[in-house]
Amino acid sequence: MSRARMRGRPLLHTSYASEMALFNTPAKRAWFGALLAVAVALPFLLTDDILQLLALCCVAAIGAIGLGLVTGYAGQVSLGHAFFLAIGAYAAAAISGDPDGRVIGFGVTNMLVWLPAAGLGAAAAGVLVAPLATRLRGLYLAIVTLGLVFIGQHIASEWSSLTGGVGVGRPAATLSVFGYQLAATGAFATRDQKLFWLMLALLLVFALAARNLARSKVGRAFTAIRDRDIAAGVIGVNLARYKTIAFAVSSFYAGCAGALLYTVSGYFDPSSFSLLLSVQYIAMVLIGGAGTVSGAIAGAFFITLLPRLTREVQAWVPFISTQPNEVPNVFQVETILYGVLIIVFLIFEPRGLFGLWVRARNYWKAWPFSY
Amino acid sequence: MTTDTRVKAAVTIASRVREHARATPDAIAMREKDFGIWQEVTWTEYWDTARTVAHALLALGIEPGDRVAIHAENRKEWLIADVATVAVRAATVGLYPTNPASEVGYLLRHSGARVLVAEDQEQVDKALAVLDDCPDLERIVYLEPRGIRHRYRHPKLMCWEDLVLLGVAHRDANPDALDERMAAARSDDIVTVIYTSGTTGPPKGAMLSASNVDFAIRSLVEGGGFTSPPPGPSDLLLSYLPLCHVAERIFTTWFNAGAGTQVNFAESIATVQANLREVQPTVLFGVPRIWEKILAGVSIRLASASPLKRLNARVWLAVARRIGDTLVRTGGTHTLSTRLMYAAGWLFFYRALRERIGVGRVRYAASGAAPIAPDVLRFFMGIGVPMHEVYGMTENTAVATGNRPGRIKLGTVGEPHSEVELRIDEDTGEILTRHPGTFVGYFRDPAATAAALTEDGWLHTGDIGEWVDGTHVRITDRAKDIMITAGGKNIAPSQIENELKASPYIKEAILVGDRRAFLGALIGIEPDTVGEWAQRRGLAYTTYRDLSGKPEVRALVQSIVDAVNGRRAPVEHVKRFRMLPKELDHEDGELTATQKVKRAAIAGLFADLVEEMYG
Repeated sequence: MSRARMRGRPLLHTSYASEMALFNTPAKRAWFGALLAVAVALPFLLTDDILQLLALCCVAAIGAIGLGLVTGYAGQVSLGHAFFLAIGAYAAAAISGDPDGRVIGFGVTNMLVWLPAAGLGAAAAGVLVAPLATRLRGLYLAIVTLGLVFIGQHIASEWSSLTGGVGVGRPAATLSVFGYQLAATGAFATRDQKLFWLMLALLLVFALAARNLARSKVGRAFTAIRDRDIAAGVIGVNLARYKTIAFAVSSFYAGCAGALLYTVSGYFDPSSFSLLLSVQYIAMVLIGGAGTVSGAIAGAFFITLLPRLTREVQAWVPFISTQPNEVPNVFQVETILYGVLIIVFLIFEPRGLFGLWVRARNYWKAWPFSY
Repeated sequence: MTTDTRVKAAVTIASRVREHARATPDAIAMREKDFGIWQEVTWTEYWDTARTVAHALLALGIEPGDRVAIHAENRKEWLIADVATVAVRAATVGLYPTNPASEVGYLLRHSGARVLVAEDQEQVDKALAVLDDCPDLERIVYLEPRGIRHRYRHPKLMCWEDLVLLGVAHRDANPDALDERMAAARSDDIVTVIYTSGTTGPPKGAMLSASNVDFAIRSLVEGGGFTSPPPGPSDLLLSYLPLCHVAERIFTTWFNAGAGTQVNFAESIATVQANLREVQPTVLFGVPRIWEKILAGVSIRLASASPLKRLNARVWLAVARRIGDTLVRTGGTHTLSTRLMYAAGWLFFYRALRERIGVGRVRYAASGAAPIAPDVLRFFMGIGVPMHEVYGMTENTAVATGNRPGRIKLGTVGEPHSEVELRIDEDTGEILTRHPGTFVGYFRDPAATAAALTEDGWLHTGDIGEWVDGTHVRITDRAKDIMITAGGKNIAPSQIENELKASPYIKEAILVGDRRAFLGALIGIEPDTVGEWAQRRGLAYTTYRDLSGKPEVRALVQSIVDAVNGRRAPVEHVKRFRMLPKELDHEDGELTATQKVKRAAIAGLFADLVEEMYG
């Protein structure tokens, strides 16, 4: 009764539940609904190659949200995201792999098994790494997590019975639930359409879970640690505990993203999990906007679509070649763009794409004033 | 009379609250912001607590006719204590939270209050400081234990929780005691003693009876004397002006008890603008100072907006002025063209602006308790806030005149309410009123009572006024404030002062010039807006005194004074002015508790400035 009466008074909160609601204003609810409706309708509007790319974006977004939790929310800079992605990817591939194949496989193709297993495997690794984070800060933590990437790469290239070896690789996990193929071209839709819907649904679940975590006691503890870990400790935040949770949750996200990432292309190679992958994820978080879930999603889409965009741009800028052996070529432009974009965003809009959105929103929110 | 009371108990705010609790037990009676959210109180909870506190007052031996004082900001305990007091047939005395200890002492001693409900350590300290002069005071009940509990050991102190426990015990032992007391309520019971602010001399306590209040509720609330349609349970109000004043008592307590409106308590006077935005009330009463401050806030924020937004504001404010002018002509009724203009402006400007300043859902806004400049009213009418100037005073339970929706005449205080007899004395021009809401008399002051009331029941309001078109009343000024210049011309200072105060840069303007060759003024700047103005010009300043002494600020004020002079006859021109070196303050004795200027005190305190002007 009182709720109905309070319509149009978005600031009149009569309970903490309403104040902390995920969508605490009608505008947010409406925009979210509209965006979701457009996203669900996309497969009918776009061609399959773009849908495949967008499905990849959704998975990358899950990984970026994970990194956003540990780096953006809890403030622990981690360059080891590629390591956790690798653990997830190999765990999932091994569990669902063909038992009689060239590489290790256990034949459990059910996604409901391999996806959580991949996440938990990565989370376990995250818990093992977390003690480092409780002892180190800032640059030192970044260097140590960088070490993880090299350890991971070394193991991946040497353990060829699992990974298939450098330059050969192995098939990714199979997308099926209780024997039903989730992404197979059928009468109703093509593989890529289904793939997009599946990844979109998973992104939705992971994103909402992250938003929910961020507004909870744990999320507040993360923010407190990010803003000043000593102060957080003084006000009663158990640093070791929450840094461990941050790494565990972040690695869980990374593990799940890693498991899903290569189901789109179906095949992957140990050299994928290089430092570049970690840097790409850092770029997603920074360009998108650290400390926000929607920012991480925006960043993931932007960075994942960047190669495609540069290729589109190439048509307009003829002196850039598409051949890798000519200079300048699109791959170089792409690599340079990562760096330039990170620099530009850190200098001009440290809050990332999300910051741009906030600026635009605040302009209208403050209307007719400026503040 | 005795047969009357046995047949039917008089209707009081207590019986009305009880009735709401019975009819709509789970509806919201009030909200109070605590720990960041608006905690809701239902009618059941409201009446239940009030009943328990009433039992506690019975346990403390409060007899019919006794006084209970309340010294707190607006909060739910204020209403609860008020209702409980009325339930036990005692009278509520409200003290302004800003009252200094000396005034607290005077009010407690004069009213003979037996119980004081004090908000916190600050108010308890004031009461304890003057306790020796108040022999009647038996109990001090404090609401906020911080700083008091475990530190103060005065035998008369008691915390609110203990009072409630006392009430619970009494209620269990004597379940019928309160009902019996309420059943004996008579319409001539004094339910409240409201001390008028006293711009001259000590405050006087106006006694209002149960029938006075009942008349006010019937006339103003249920009869729709203000709003149309009358207020109801779906109306939200923000309670932020002192409840000791009759105006806020109407809009908070009587609207709530009478019509079941939802009261929302502002956190403090400083957070009113933020709270307005949150609550978005549907009925809003403000004293001129509040409306002027909102207008000033809009002006400075628009002035510092980005160029596009400034342009947008300029366009739509110009349109608003035209709409306002038309509405003033039509008495507040829209024409087709104003509707079209407003609809366009609503899209681009008015909706957002109203939402931002917290008047987005206001269906009735009123200004009263002091005269206001018509320009301020016109601005609010233009942006779509139905603004009405109303008039009343404590002594007639605030029932006198009001501008009705659709029948507004700008510059007047409206038409007499129904059942109100109003006449203007032909010799003195003084307004007199007569109706069932006329107060009983001044508490312990028969001489003042005799001066205020004629034998046949007419009340001298002390305001000089005139009829406009035979229906509306225009107030010239308070009788005692009228100035006579050396040239023999009568001048009503408040009109000129209000025109000056309509500028966002001027907070106080006090005209001097009684028996002088020309008019002068003491002017106090609004530090927020002038500070902003100075900042935009790169003008460095330190304190209020420094800022107001700047030649550039003087020039700014001069331009405002010139503009006002331009609209007036030469004899009413403000020839010279001086800047006040400080902000006027209640504690320093320059303002009353309702922020009205004490002219006599100002004339004394700033005599050197005045002499300099005429020297």
